[in-house]
Amino acid sequence: MPSYKNIAPFLSAGQNNISRWLSYIGLGVGVLLLLSSIQMFININELLKDKNSRKDGADFISVTKTITNENMGKDNRFTEADLAEIKSLPFITDAAPLISNQFRVKASAGNIIPFSTDLFLESLDEKFLDTVPPSFTWREGQADVPIIFSSDFMEMYNVFAPSQDLPQLSDKTMSSVSIILECYTPYGVQNFKARIVALSDRINSVLVPNTFMQWANKNFGGVSQVNPSRIYIKTTDANSPQLLSFLEKKDYRVNKDKTKFGRVKQILQAIVSGLAGFGVLVILLAMLLFSFYLQLMIAKSKDNLQLLLTLGYSPDWLSKTVAKKWIPVYVIIVLSALLLTAILQFCFQHFVMYDREELSPFLHWIVVVVAAVLLVLSIITNYKLVRKLLYRLG
Amino acid sequence: MQIILQKVLPVFFEDDKVNNSQLWNSTLSFNKGENIHIIAPSGSGKTTLIHFLYGLRNDYKGNISYDSNDIKHFDAEKFSIWRRQHISIVFQDLRLFTEQTVLQNLEIKRMLSPFHAVNNIAAMAERLGIKSKLTKVCKTCSYGEQQRIAIIRALQQPFDFLLLDEPFSHLDELNRQKAMELMEEESKKRNATIILADLREITYFKSERTLHL
Repeated sequence: MPSYKNIAPFLSAGQNNISRWLSYIGLGVGVLLLLSSIQMFININELLKDKNSRKDGADFISVTKTITNENMGKDNRFTEADLAEIKSLPFITDAAPLISNQFRVKASAGNIIPFSTDLFLESLDEKFLDTVPPSFTWREGQADVPIIFSSDFMEMYNVFAPSQDLPQLSDKTMSSVSIILECYTPYGVQNFKARIVALSDRINSVLVPNTFMQWANKNFGGVSQVNPSRIYIKTTDANSPQLLSFLEKKDYRVNKDKTKFGRVKQILQAIVSGLAGFGVLVILLAMLLFSFYLQLMIAKSKDNLQLLLTLGYSPDWLSKTVAKKWIPVYVIIVLSALLLTAILQFCFQHFVMYDREELSPFLHWIVVVVAAVLLVLSIITNYKLVRKLLYRLG
Repeated sequence: MQIILQKVLPVFFEDDKVNNSQLWNSTLSFNKGENIHIIAPSGSGKTTLIHFLYGLRNDYKGNISYDSNDIKHFDAEKFSIWRRQHISIVFQDLRLFTEQTVLQNLEIKRMLSPFHAVNNIAAMAERLGIKSKLTKVCKTCSYGEQQRIAIIRALQQPFDFLLLDEPFSHLDELNRQKAMELMEEESKKRNATIILADLREITYFKSERTLHL
């Protein structure tokens, strides 16, 4: 069988070079835009991944009701219905209330640290705690109450301790300090020995075991059912737009730090997605321009192509042979765009991100796969177009 | 191979043209190995018939079959197979690539399904007196020379049927005879049939059947 070289003189391919080159450049720019946008999208994900506060791939967020001038003085606690609604949402994995003490509590550290303060206690389902030591249990009759203390509170204490002539404490020392919990009951003050068994990075509170809280609220506060002022939610994505809009709609307040990255990420990803969309548009326009060039070339060579078909040339063979001519062109265009994306990624990692470890200087495999898919798609589209045009002649 | 015509009649024909025809609206078959001479005055549908037989047009009633395959159901791909292996043609309007050289015109056909080696082209061109034109651009050749190029081109492939539509209209007597001789010789090599359609009888064409259109 003849080759493309044999039939090339019969096709007027030499003309209309401008639109051909424009379509090549357009395709290259489009592919480059798309590939670098995808790589940048992946980079943003890598850089803004919040690795520390996540447990089992989930985020834990404290939610309270926003206190405004209008609702001040009203009951701003969560009802059971509020909790049930939150639990039922698809983007929230679980939720649990933080139960607070319904009686007055005072804490003092004895003679070693002459310090005494009114205190609040809370209890939370253990599933929501980041550190739960085995000693964090309480049974009725037990005089010791284990406490999980917020790391932030600990830090605050150490900041103001020197000015109050109090000793600064390390994490380890903190656990050995015995605290006296003075619980004010209707029948007088009842003391418990408390000990800090763990520090929590996640929960800003003074936590006691659920069993203690329930017993104490019932016996000292006289209430068995308490509506919580804040609840903890577990979600797979603290930055999910649905979650953010739900919280906003309900006027619920969350720790903005938790969702701040999410907002930045959302904006950056939207920009990059926009760029990728623009890349796709440029690719489509370039393909359209190239299809015009092909149509024009085939229209100009119409008589010759028709005669080749009349003489016995197979339209299938002709389409494959003509289409094959552009395979090296497409390969060069896509590979150049891929190479350029790789160089950009390397420069971004090296010069802009100063070799940060969480970012690879090399292309992500998805980018390479997308490039391969684009290459195959261009070749198939081109072949189908040529075939359609040639069969129309036959 | 056999070509069978069953009641073939162009859809645009008036009835009076059909009455005296031995071909239109008749059922007949052309078998491999027997030469057919079709004689027809201008306007009687000579070229139309040749185009029907080659599958370039299908605006007719009735059926034309290659062996038992009705060619109305052929697509371009199927026609290309028959045209490469079984049926060759010299068009009345020649249909050459006018911007290409004579050699390119012949080679593009030869390489599709080669029956001859490439050096046979020069030998055939020499026999028909156009060897010096091989490297010339086709459109610079005279009509008579182009007619001989079209004839040589048709002989580059294997075939069972060679369709000739007024192939000598621009040739002098001597060149006509040379061309006929070459075609008959090539046809014999393939044990093929020549179907020659012309305005008048070609005396040096040895045909088994003569049909008036």
